[in-house]
Amino acid sequence: MKKYLALTKVGILEKLNFRGSIYINLIGNLIYLIVTYYLWKAVYMSVETGTVNGMSFYDTMIYLVLAATISMIMGSRVVWWMGMDYQSGQVGIDLLKPMNYLVYWFFFESGEYIVSIITLFIPTFCIVYVLTKGMIVLGVNIIFFVISLILSILINYFIDFIVGILCFYTQSIWGINIMKEVVVALLSGARIPLVFFPVVLRNLCKYLPFQYIYNTPLTIILSHNCKLTEYMHLLLIQIVWVIITGILAALVWKNSKKLITVNGG
Amino acid sequence: MEPIIVVKDIRKEFKVANRHEGLCGSIRDLFFREYKVVQAVNGVSMEILPGEIVGYLGPNGAGKSTTIKMMTGILEPTSGSITVNGIVPYKNRVKNAQNIGVVFGQRTQLRWALPAIESFKLLKDMYRISDKEYKENLELLNCILGKEELLQCTVRQMSLGQRILCDIMASFLHNPSIVFLDEPTIGLDVAMKARIREMIKVLNKEKNTTVILTTHDMGDVDALCQRAVIIDKGNVLYDDSIENLRRYFGAYRALRLNLFKDISKVTQEQLEKIKNDLEEEIAKKTFQRPSITVESKEKEVCILIDEDKISTMEIINCIQEKYRIYDLSINDISTENVIKKIYAGETNEEILSID
Repeated sequence: MKKYLALTKVGILEKLNFRGSIYINLIGNLIYLIVTYYLWKAVYMSVETGTVNGMSFYDTMIYLVLAATISMIMGSRVVWWMGMDYQSGQVGIDLLKPMNYLVYWFFFESGEYIVSIITLFIPTFCIVYVLTKGMIVLGVNIIFFVISLILSILINYFIDFIVGILCFYTQSIWGINIMKEVVVALLSGARIPLVFFPVVLRNLCKYLPFQYIYNTPLTIILSHNCKLTEYMHLLLIQIVWVIITGILAALVWKNSKKLITVNGG
Repeated sequence: MEPIIVVKDIRKEFKVANRHEGLCGSIRDLFFREYKVVQAVNGVSMEILPGEIVGYLGPNGAGKSTTIKMMTGILEPTSGSITVNGIVPYKNRVKNAQNIGVVFGQRTQLRWALPAIESFKLLKDMYRISDKEYKENLELLNCILGKEELLQCTVRQMSLGQRILCDIMASFLHNPSIVFLDEPTIGLDVAMKARIREMIKVLNKEKNTTVILTTHDMGDVDALCQRAVIIDKGNVLYDDSIENLRRYFGAYRALRLNLFKDISKVTQEQLEKIKNDLEEEIAKKTFQRPSITVESKEKEVCILIDEDKISTMEIINCIQEKYRIYDLSINDISTENVIKKIYAGETNEEILSID
């Protein structure tokens, strides 16, 4: 385990080295939130009841703000790193490490996850919590939220890894990654809460892994007083998806080993 | 002694898209893509003993790096078998990685944005190096290099030479039994090259590490290797000791003579005459025409002598009887020259022209 935690540590060190990017991320997130605020304000002004699909303006805003922040934690960095390392041939160096490739990248990323949770998620959450004055009820759900967030990160990582391996086949990153980002952003409920979706699409999403990245942890943190079994149920579905995407990622990796060409001298 | 690396008849094929030229060609490639199979390595076999320093040589694109990538386990050979330390590298990449160190001169395994020491600490945990071993190795490396403060520098701010020094240090940290150095001296100045050679030599002696060295610098080969394996177009051309390499085309010596007091006044005709004269003279004396060739170059007379057949002294004596020698030099044919000839695919006859 120690050898993996060493990677986490280096990841944190590297992230902290570029403090400029941390500030810029914060500002970027803020701008996105302002846009979202006015967009949804306009949506809610057009309805008279003050709720759409059972969500008030503030419900929607809290949901979207937190979703945006979680999406900053996830990023698509793994896809970029893997793709770029493959193009440049640096993948050879990664493969010379006495570590499983799938696990290696996760722990390299883990430093980034930790830094973004501390520098982005926690401050944003505190601000939202104070501003909304009691709309978020904290209790036992915070524990389930933390577990759920870790599971989300895993699902997201495995999907990124699979997409990263796809880059090995196509030798290009941009198009594939943009497609993945759009699909995930839409079908996960990161940009529009899932309750706004038509029933058909919502049902379809149940059978895709994406909503379990954003929707599940957000549902848990925003829930008021769910029963323990309900939380367990949500987490169980996430765990099933972690296993499915994890196995898929491992299989894709196993099969692509033969195809690997390490570019350059 | 049991060989530490056994490579048996490995081949590696790459499927490469056969791209057409120009815009039209590129659009055509979007729909119909043809592939061709490129043979990068074509039946290479070798055995390497523990503690050897082997120069793995060949012109650009010969398949050197591909072979090394297969031996390190990051590429799978199309056919053939490899065992490194008894492990099949591509089947057991992670286990193999624990026993080997690799430096690709054109890449780095150090973390770009951090001081080198942080990468070293990472490697320490990654390879599970004990505190004692780590300390000893760092001390040894600092002893050789005497540059402790270098490790505190951020890698991306280092010069190429400093970075490669650190990379080589890093590859020896976990006491690997084999180290692969792929062009470690590429783009370095003379002083840095000398230090890197020194370092490799000491580490090889101290730890009995097997070193496989790819390089285009024959200085590296002369300074370090006892044995050379030369490949081209995926085939092994030569696999033997360096001494034998120099004698690959016979034990040749090059003799350069200046037979004129004032060299600037010499004409080409004069030279030709002397050349023919000498050829005749030597042939008469020694009855060994094919073992020497005479040439005139830059107003000097050059004679290439096969020492297995006739001694250089005999030739000099023979010339001295007729001419006065103002200046003379005797040179071995350099490894570089021999290799150049091998790369160029020249035959025994052609090497007889002197540089």
